[in-house]
Amino acid sequence: MPDNLSYSDRRTFLTKICHLFSFIGFFIITGIFLLFAFPKKISKKKTVYVYVCKEEDLPLQGARQYLINYSRQEKPVEHKIFIVNTGKELFALSSSCTHLGCLINWYRSENRFLCPCHGGKYDISGNVVEGPPPTALNHLPMKIEHEKVHIGIKV
Amino acid sequence: MGRFFEWLDRYFGIKKPHRRFLKRSIPEGVNYFFCLGGVAFTLFIFLFASGLMLAIYYVPSENDAFASIIYIHNEVRLGGFIRSFHKWSANVFIISIILHTIRVFVYKAYRHPRELNWIVGSLTLILAFASGFTGYLLPWDQKAYWATEVGTSMVKKFPLVGPYISYFLRGGADVTGATLIRFYAVHTLYLPLLMCLLLWAHFHLVKQQGVKGGL
Repeated sequence: MPDNLSYSDRRTFLTKICHLFSFIGFFIITGIFLLFAFPKKISKKKTVYVYVCKEEDLPLQGARQYLINYSRQEKPVEHKIFIVNTGKELFALSSSCTHLGCLINWYRSENRFLCPCHGGKYDISGNVVEGPPPTALNHLPMKIEHEKVHIGIKV
Repeated sequence: MGRFFEWLDRYFGIKKPHRRFLKRSIPEGVNYFFCLGGVAFTLFIFLFASGLMLAIYYVPSENDAFASIIYIHNEVRLGGFIRSFHKWSANVFIISIILHTIRVFVYKAYRHPRELNWIVGSLTLILAFASGFTGYLLPWDQKAYWATEVGTSMVKKFPLVGPYISYFLRGGADVTGATLIRFYAVHTLYLPLLMCLLLWAHFHLVKQQGVKGGL
């Protein structure tokens, strides 16, 4: 390099420096762009069926709260869900309020799910009765096999 | 790499006409204040690049705009950096254009035969302000909302057509999601396009007329 430079005049040297900086800048910006634009989470969500209870423990009428245990990203998670029996149909409801994700509770005396955060109220089917929630509670897929109840959770 | 460009240039023939521009002699009395225009242009390129990146994640909708900003800032890799970079570049962009304007004014470079270039430059400054105003709404937080509310209310005081201009700007009677989409389109499509045109004109005129020398 020094040999080469001794033949070059100042302008050529400056031009070369400019080129060098342009290339470095170009690669840095490309790198930043790729880092920025590349998606962070790539793995698809899978529905995993988690054991809840035996079939005989299901409510005959009304809603009942269950705690289910499973692992998410190799960490044990406890999750609250509701299983509702309206007499006509049996289904499972998510316990997170559709407004901002607080955990709702079932109040049998009022026959409503109540959210403690902003006063959202849902009826027994999960439809909004009162308050800020924009949509009804999420229904969770449920299946009963060999008298055991399983709930589908997206992991 | 140099050889690659040589090969490209054999077909495009860009180098020769630009060599005359890039290697022209500059007049006496030029100093570092003459770089302010170049600083502004560099910042324009920075804004363009970081804006292109932000546009990948930003959602111009009433419900999701703020959430997408939070997502960019906290979740996306380098997101906070790019967003802050865009914001600060915008501030420095305006400042450097104003300083550039002062330099041109002090050196009397707005006089004949450069009056058209002064007009083009002024239009660029106005567009830069417009970009700032429309971009300010995009985070869709309280500050953004009320700034736009006040800004578009000022227009109402214009005699006769005032209210209609404000309806036109807001896309309705109030600042709503319609305003957000409107401002997003103007900020990311209309203004950059116009800006590119004006900057081309600006540089073409500098190329034609040369740089005005010192005092």
